[in-house]
Amino acid sequence: MSAGKAAAIKGSKTSESLSGRSVPDLIFYLILVVTLALVDVTLSIYYYRNQSGFDMRWILAGLDISVILSVMGLAGKRVGHFLTSMKLALTMLFVIAILSIIGTWLPQGETVLESGWVKNPLYDVYRTLGLFNVYQSRWFLAILYLLAFNLGFCIFKRFPTTYRHTLKPRVDVKEKFVINQPLAAEIAGAGEKGMAIARETLSGMRYRIRPGQTGSVMAEKGRYSGLASIAFHLSFLLIGIGAMLGAVFGFDETVEIREGQTVDVRGTNLKATNYDFQIKYTDVMEEGRNTGSMPTEYSTDLEVFADGQSLERKVITVNGPLRISTYNPVPTLLASLKVNFHQASYYQSDRGVVSVLQVNQGPGKSLIYLGFFLMMGGICFSLYFPHRRIWLKVGDSGELLVGGRTNRAKVTFQRDFERLTSELRVKMGQEDKAYG
Amino acid sequence: MGNIFSHDLLTRYEEILFIVAVISYLVCSGIFIWYLISRNEKAAQLGTILLTMGLVAHTFALALRWGTSGHAPMSNTYESLSLFGWGIVLFFLIAQRFYPIRAAGALVVPTAFLITSVAGVFYQGPDIPLAPALQSIWLWIHVTIAMLSYGLFALAFGAGFLYIIQENLLKKNYKGVVTSFTLLFAALGLVLGLWLGSMLAEPVTVQDPITRTVSNDYSFSDYFRIFGGGFIGLFVFLGLGYFAGKGASKRSFSNILPSLDVLDEVSYRGVAFGFPLLTIGIVTGAIWADQAWGRWWGWDPKETWSLITWLFYGGYLHTRLTMGWRGKHSAILAVVGLIVVLITYLGVNFFFSGLHSYATG
Repeated sequence: MSAGKAAAIKGSKTSESLSGRSVPDLIFYLILVVTLALVDVTLSIYYYRNQSGFDMRWILAGLDISVILSVMGLAGKRVGHFLTSMKLALTMLFVIAILSIIGTWLPQGETVLESGWVKNPLYDVYRTLGLFNVYQSRWFLAILYLLAFNLGFCIFKRFPTTYRHTLKPRVDVKEKFVINQPLAAEIAGAGEKGMAIARETLSGMRYRIRPGQTGSVMAEKGRYSGLASIAFHLSFLLIGIGAMLGAVFGFDETVEIREGQTVDVRGTNLKATNYDFQIKYTDVMEEGRNTGSMPTEYSTDLEVFADGQSLERKVITVNGPLRISTYNPVPTLLASLKVNFHQASYYQSDRGVVSVLQVNQGPGKSLIYLGFFLMMGGICFSLYFPHRRIWLKVGDSGELLVGGRTNRAKVTFQRDFERLTSELRVKMGQEDKAYG
Repeated sequence: MGNIFSHDLLTRYEEILFIVAVISYLVCSGIFIWYLISRNEKAAQLGTILLTMGLVAHTFALALRWGTSGHAPMSNTYESLSLFGWGIVLFFLIAQRFYPIRAAGALVVPTAFLITSVAGVFYQGPDIPLAPALQSIWLWIHVTIAMLSYGLFALAFGAGFLYIIQENLLKKNYKGVVTSFTLLFAALGLVLGLWLGSMLAEPVTVQDPITRTVSNDYSFSDYFRIFGGGFIGLFVFLGLGYFAGKGASKRSFSNILPSLDVLDEVSYRGVAFGFPLLTIGIVTGAIWADQAWGRWWGWDPKETWSLITWLFYGGYLHTRLTMGWRGKHSAILAVVGLIVVLITYLGVNFFFSGLHSYATG
């Protein structure tokens, strides 16, 4: 009998479709997969044939992951659950950590050409895998996309519940709800008098008291904990979008200028002149003896021109860059962005001291900074002020029901809870039964 | 020279106060270990008072250093290690006010002593000027916050380790106790050995012709010293750990240790308080880097390893808060976490090159 039933269920599944999806759904997914794959392959071929200045890796990686996701979408709901699960997020964090370790172990970027790795028999394999440029490799970016996708889904799934808990808390509750909380107690015969004592005690413990319509009372603390956690997670998406905008639309160039020289800033029509480069030295004293000198400050007297017209002149130092907001060298969607000239370093060449500047313009910087502040504020609020809730209700036979829950720091909350119940028991003149 | 507030004399006072602090940590290590064995409450009280006095001396030493050098005391190995030890003692003293974890002093105080005495080995006068990139208000904000988070992770580690010991003791699994102690000491010995070995190594500094980043070129004898140091440290501490484990394999030892619930909560709290601080540390670092070098993230080894540490503890919090891990699993994660922290804090400066390599801390 049961075997037949199982077979019937199995049969019904296969008759519907491969993966529990309807036929129009399947066709839609198939078309999506094929289109995305075609676009991905075409763009890849274009990108690798003529590697121009425009960095398309972010776009390509995005396409890669969309192809993979839509193929997995074909496979059915189970895979869909996996894609939005915490397990995947943790796995991705782990993979990123491992890749980062590889990235700090192997030389990255151009430095590899100077290292012994060029002679390594596996050099070509590593190079093809992108291990010498891990953080910009296509699949590292693809993993970041996957994580962002997963994160977005997790936020989307959690937001309604958290919103409700924060702004529309359950104040009017049934007796059963109170008893079923992770921490629950019953004080016999306490009644309304007990309720008053409990409210007073909880106010003293800085709980916010919310009386309900039906006689139940809710007391809570740290109610923004959940929303703060969401803000923290949202900050990654903001920073990610900001970084992507910067990588695709911004520019970042290293410019080297000798004293008296004027050079072009690549990719823009800006020119920069180095009038004077200064290094300040300070004597190093050890045990009263002069043991040499160290540079403590270096600066470039810099003037920037656009189309032959002077924009600004400033002496820039290491922590004091020049920011020009009056001119936009690269036409972007976001107008009037600052171009920054940073004093990065300097070196001695055979024709004089060369000042090394870092010139950049980052659309998405404001998003990144917004993300930074959400991240710091979110994590502090989320972990330092956990959400603690206690419900109080007088039962039918005059007993006071107390139930409570928290999202973090269980032992500390337990202490709050025990303080409340023992206070009640002492004041109601009851013997302390639950203690020991 | 008659002025008692002259620069040289203040430097001398700082040295004396620092030495007083180190000696008090040494004495307190003895007292707390004795407390663990004898369960004499008077000993614990005496130890706490002495430790507080040591901390006060240490605080004055750091403040004097700040005054004489003109910048926050966190720009070289001596200053940053001294500050790290100070943070550990401070957190221990605060934590023991709120949780019954004085017994953990037998682990925490010797660690603080070890760190501060190593700081003393690398003592440097206050008159060495700061590298240009470090001359910023961000220096002390960024480094203090990062150090506080490391201190809290160390606390989480200590409580996590004791959790594992306590659980094994309660189950009468004495083999587990010995193994845990041996592994802990061996790892500690390996790290210390590698680190001291790398101090003996004399790498040639090479400047890369293309990127002009400075890196260290290690010769064979340097590797021999580094890994030799690691091996010696590993085996010496392996033996020590074995005997420590044997000594701890007693029922009475379990009574002195805090309860499993308290250890679990303290370990979690260490991470829960340290993680936001690490986040702020990384973000302030990014903002500072954006100001100084014009990029907020550059996959520099120190940055990358701090990210790895951050991912690790992020994983810890997720397994605990959403997947419901408790007790032993969380404790193991807290223990492993400190290894990651140590690589970030010490390992990166010695084994990788990058923008942070001038800033030992």
